[in-house]
Amino acid sequence: MLKLHYNLEKVSLGMVAAIIVAALIGGAVEIAPLFTIDETVAIPDDLRPHTPLELAGREIYMREGCYACHSQMVRALADEIDRYGPYSLAGESAYDHPMLWGSKRTGPDLARLGDKYSDDWHVVHLADPRSVVPASIMPAYPWLTTSLDTENLSAQLATLARLGVPYSDEMIANAMRDALAQSRPDSDGAADVAARYGESVAIRAFDGNSSRLTEMDALVAYLQSLGTLTKAAHETLAPEATQ
Amino acid sequence: MIGSLSISERQTGLVLAIGLALFGLVMAAAAKQGPMAVHGAMALALGVALIFAIGGVFYDADAPAGRAGRYYDEPTRFGIVMALTWAAIGMGVGVWVAALLYWPEATPLWSWTSFGRLRPVHTTGVIFGFGGNALIATSFHVLQRTSRARLADAVSPWVVLIGFNLFCAWAVTGYLMGSTQSKEYAEAEWYADLWLVVIWVVYFAIYLRTLARRNEPHIYVANWYYLAFILVVAMLHIVNNLALPVSLAGAKSFTIWAGVQDAMVQWWYGHNAVAFLMTAGFLGMLYYFLPVRAGRPIWSYRLSIVSFWGITFFYLWVGSHHLHYTALPHWVQTLGMTFSVMLLVPSWASAGNAIATLNGAWHKVRDDATLRFMFVAAVFYGLSTFEGSFLAIRPVNSLSHYTDWTVGHVHSGTLGWLAMVSFGAIYTLVPQLSGREAMAWPRAVEWHFWLAVTGTLIYVVAMWNAGITQGLMWRTYDANGALAYSFLQSVAAMAPYYLLRTIGGALFLSGAILCALNTRATLRAAPADAAASDRPLQPVAAE
Amino acid sequence: MSRPTRHEVDTDPVTGYETTGHNWNGIRELNTPFPRIVIWALALTFAYSAVAWVLLPAWPLGRDYTRGLLGLDQGEIAAEGYQRLAEARADWVTLFASGDFTALAADKTLMARAMPAAARLFADNCAACHGATGTGGPGFPNLADQDWLWGGDPETVAETLRVGINSAHLETRFSQMPAFGRDGMLPRNEIAAVADHVLALSSGKADPNSPSATLFAENCSSCHGEAGTGGLGVGAPVLVDDQWIYGGSRDDILTTLRQGRQGVMPAWENRLSATEINMLALYVAGLGQDGETGVRQ
Ligand code: HEC
Ligand code: HEC
Ligand code: HEC
Ligand code: HEM
Ligand code: HEM
Ligand SMILES: [Ca+2]
Ligand SMILES: [Ca+2]
Ligand SMILES: [Cu+2]
Repeated sequence: MLKLHYNLEKVSLGMVAAIIVAALIGGAVEIAPLFTIDETVAIPDDLRPHTPLELAGREIYMREGCYACHSQMVRALADEIDRYGPYSLAGESAYDHPMLWGSKRTGPDLARLGDKYSDDWHVVHLADPRSVVPASIMPAYPWLTTSLDTENLSAQLATLARLGVPYSDEMIANAMRDALAQSRPDSDGAADVAARYGESVAIRAFDGNSSRLTEMDALVAYLQSLGTLTKAAHETLAPEATQ
Repeated sequence: MIGSLSISERQTGLVLAIGLALFGLVMAAAAKQGPMAVHGAMALALGVALIFAIGGVFYDADAPAGRAGRYYDEPTRFGIVMALTWAAIGMGVGVWVAALLYWPEATPLWSWTSFGRLRPVHTTGVIFGFGGNALIATSFHVLQRTSRARLADAVSPWVVLIGFNLFCAWAVTGYLMGSTQSKEYAEAEWYADLWLVVIWVVYFAIYLRTLARRNEPHIYVANWYYLAFILVVAMLHIVNNLALPVSLAGAKSFTIWAGVQDAMVQWWYGHNAVAFLMTAGFLGMLYYFLPVRAGRPIWSYRLSIVSFWGITFFYLWVGSHHLHYTALPHWVQTLGMTFSVMLLVPSWASAGNAIATLNGAWHKVRDDATLRFMFVAAVFYGLSTFEGSFLAIRPVNSLSHYTDWTVGHVHSGTLGWLAMVSFGAIYTLVPQLSGREAMAWPRAVEWHFWLAVTGTLIYVVAMWNAGITQGLMWRTYDANGALAYSFLQSVAAMAPYYLLRTIGGALFLSGAILCALNTRATLRAAPADAAASDRPLQPVAAE
Repeated sequence: MSRPTRHEVDTDPVTGYETTGHNWNGIRELNTPFPRIVIWALALTFAYSAVAWVLLPAWPLGRDYTRGLLGLDQGEIAAEGYQRLAEARADWVTLFASGDFTALAADKTLMARAMPAAARLFADNCAACHGATGTGGPGFPNLADQDWLWGGDPETVAETLRVGINSAHLETRFSQMPAFGRDGMLPRNEIAAVADHVLALSSGKADPNSPSATLFAENCSSCHGEAGTGGLGVGAPVLVDDQWIYGGSRDDILTTLRQGRQGVMPAWENRLSATEINMLALYVAGLGQDGETGVRQ
């Protein structure tokens, strides 16, 4: 062995090859089977993709780096279930490019956030967290009142569709319109949003003002969708445990 | 600097600079607005600046005749300057974001300076800006010395350094503008990612070409590590950053990986960015500068072999320890946990080999702050790898994950190990680069050492306390079997630790700034001729 | 300059070991024998791993993976752990299923066990809106006073919690303060008059015979009660005290009248268990009882 290495050390391309081989094995063994073992990701029947407005909100969530402080992954631990709700399933993020599981909880987990608070609360909290939670150390996001740029939404849906997210051509074509309509419950398009994405989609003037489509609308729509895209996770806990 | 290039090299340089300017122009024109346009403009500006810089000396005398008989140290010098610049930026932002967590009202109501946007500026600034430049700079030095050969080419080292720094600048300005892929330590958008791939190929090429000129048939251990750093980082970077841009004329892209597979790829990358950038590369650094400064042979060649291959093989199995108890399948977690425990052995073997190398030089450790930096680095390397393996055990991780314990571990690794070994290397290298015996302000090195050690200890101890407190508060049940603390109580409990961390960080930062100033003063001193022995040998092909 | 002599093996005076003979610009390596302890450590950590691999799910096999002798699954373990938690506190938690709040509140030892848990639930779920001590804030009602929109007895509170107010729940309580201004239900001057009347009501100086009192009686009393004293169980607040959800300045009241209000209280049925909701109901009902709660610990 030592002799072998002694000789290998003299050949730079030999070292290169050996390093590549040694380094490839671990990843190959751990990553490739995640695509071949079926039970890795069970996509729930009722899983829906994000609406265009929620998707735009998700990008704001990424842009502002919310993931630096908030996880979206309830771990399979009894105390986490107790505090946050059912643990997260792989299927729940099957359409997420990228996933936003997070690695730090400076603030609480948000995986089960949808419907926990009202839109109004989110609007106030995001604009000035300490006005509702005096002890909060979360930054304020007053600039979210700017208008939402929906220009790119169709192209974004189309890109995601190419990556396997089930966006139909109709969804792609109407992305801009749907984004607007989701924040205007009284508009004609609102019913189309529900028809395309399901009745469970929240269609509201998220920032309290239906005359303007703002980044706040998008972000709050996204936050209200967290944990509501499928009910699958709620089925993992025996009913008596939750009662 | 450019004066030492030959006429034909200046021509190549000029062509490349024009190419960069045109590339920037096309990028800016295609994107029209948004981060990509700004980045195009940055590339254009850099290209134009380089055109002027090269054009200004284009017709000067050709490169000095004896050039081939000397090492090519200008790129190293530039890399060190950039590393220290980034250190000041990255750590400055680190102290600022640390302060924001204690004093959130201080956030200016201006989107660019929000915590979530600055945090990746900090991580990218220190890991890539400071760490990356330090690695590239020292790798060129070590490569030449251990091969006793001049760099194989004079232009490509500049391509590597300037291109790499453009990547870093793109990345951090992108985050400020809100452009991010949100993948930790790989946040930069697709075009920056592609750019880095090109730069990396050039880096690899110059490395191999120079190595081929070496005079000692055996490749020195430091170069094994640098090679592993270059190769594995390339592999990780490419796989993790595979993405589909929404349009070629815009910054936005979607990673091709989704959900649980994305998580695994991300942390396979994330952990090994730690392993091959923040560990392997710096072990290369340690393996050269420690024996040089201590004047001692490496304690055990055989141990070096085992630790190197152990690290190279085991490390890539352990990324899943970042995903314990998550929706990642249990079996991958078991593999991540067990390989992390096995990984401790080669890690400690490296630390032990470094410390044992100091046998016979302990009096130097006592007297020489520079060597002490490297000694402390080896100790912290041992500490943080032990801690890492411990944190990788699932039940331990159930407590530590998501808490500031992780942040404490991170900074015992980065401050205690990565930064300390870099400072040790810089203090060894800089006098040599300026042809002096010692740094311009030797006392400042001593000051820096104590600032760094105190700062690290305060930071790390505060975060251990913070993390364990947090983890326990989240899971503590009262006597009646109900959760005892609300989340907000755990937030409030962090305040004193966040304050302490800010103070520790500020101490560390002031040391780093002292280092930067000291380096500037030293490099400014008129360069004397390099020692006669610090010369390449006549080139011969080794292979 | 001469080349370094290759493979020149020396002995290191400090350690007594030989060098390997390589020389990289002065750096040498010792040919120190391989330390035994490293072998042992590798063997030990490998043994640990091997045991783990046998017992736990570990190695992928194409389309499947080894399940491990223990047959563990982290999801099941977590669900069981959660079940065990629930069982451990079942002796007192299940009592809250009854909904006989008078009996529950009278059981002091039970309350002593339950109220810390309720306080934690309140802090994690409710305090964001109603404040850490339940005193509310702009847009969010005070729960620590005597005024209630729907009622402050534990039964009513529990029902409010279960279905929410103006929430997404199918059985939600519904309430709305109409937008008299925006929807053109009252002209400007009358809005101003009725606003002044509301101000007068809260300071106890209202003139019951004024034209604005008539306006109030015609437009508002159906929800807020004859004298603005609320309590009709339709979610409309008392207007005769100095407690306000949306603020009591003239401007605030004008805004309320012009734009209307429809505060949203989320429904908790799908997030909290029935026992937790009952616990919280007692906790909340206790908040309003002048400190002399006997409920709140
Ligand atoms: C500096 C860290 C930090 C950042 C960045 C941050 N948060 Fe928070 N967040 C917190 C903390 C701490 C809390 C708990 C206190 C509170 O409720 O404000 C919190 C609470 C929340 C809550 C309430 C969760 C609950 O269940 O009570 C939401 C929703 C939220 N944040 C959303 C966001 C969004 C969206 C962003 C980005 C635009 C963001 N946060 C950025 C720290 C942060
Ligand atoms: C998103 C903010 C929000 C959260 C979270 C919230 N509430 Fe409320 N709550 C409200 C609002 C707003 C109202 C008043 C609704 C209205 O104005 O009609 C209300 C009303 C109530 C009422 C009715 C008061 C009355 O006078 O009849 C009770 C009781 C109550 N909340 C208790 C709770 C409890 C207990 C929790 C936690 C489990 C909670 N709330 C969480 C916003 C919230
Ligand atoms: C259809 C029923 C209804 C009618 C009619 C009605 N209100 Fe209201 N009012 C409500 C409800 C419900 C609320 C509470 C809204 C909330 O909390 O979101 C409310 C709230 C208010 C408030 C805010 C109280 C606070 O604490 O901030 C004022 C002031 C008020 N009403 C005055 C009036 C006046 C004056 C009129 C007549 C011009 C009137 N209301 C008519 C149902 C009604
Ligand atoms: C001046 C000294 C420094 C200070 C004050 C500092 C401060 C911080 C802060 C406040 C965070 C965010 C933690 C959180 O979100 O809770 C952080 C994260 C981080 N820092 Fe530093 N830092 C310093 C130096 C460094 C250095 C030198 C490096 C690396 C070379 C580094 C690498 C990192 C990394 C990798 C993270 C991310 C940790 C994670 O996501 O878990 N830091 N730092
Ligand atoms: C044997 C060596 C090591 C092992 C097994 C190890 C293991 C771990 C573990 C288990 C975590 C926590 C994951 C989580 O709960 O999220 C972690 C985080 C981290 N470690 Fe290490 N570690 C090692 C060495 C190091 C060193 C030397 C450094 C720095 C130079 C380092 C830098 C980091 C960073 C930056 C993170 C944070 C990742 C994030 O953003 O979440 N580690 N490591
Ligand atoms: Ca992290
Ligand atoms: Ca990237
Ligand atoms: Cu790791």
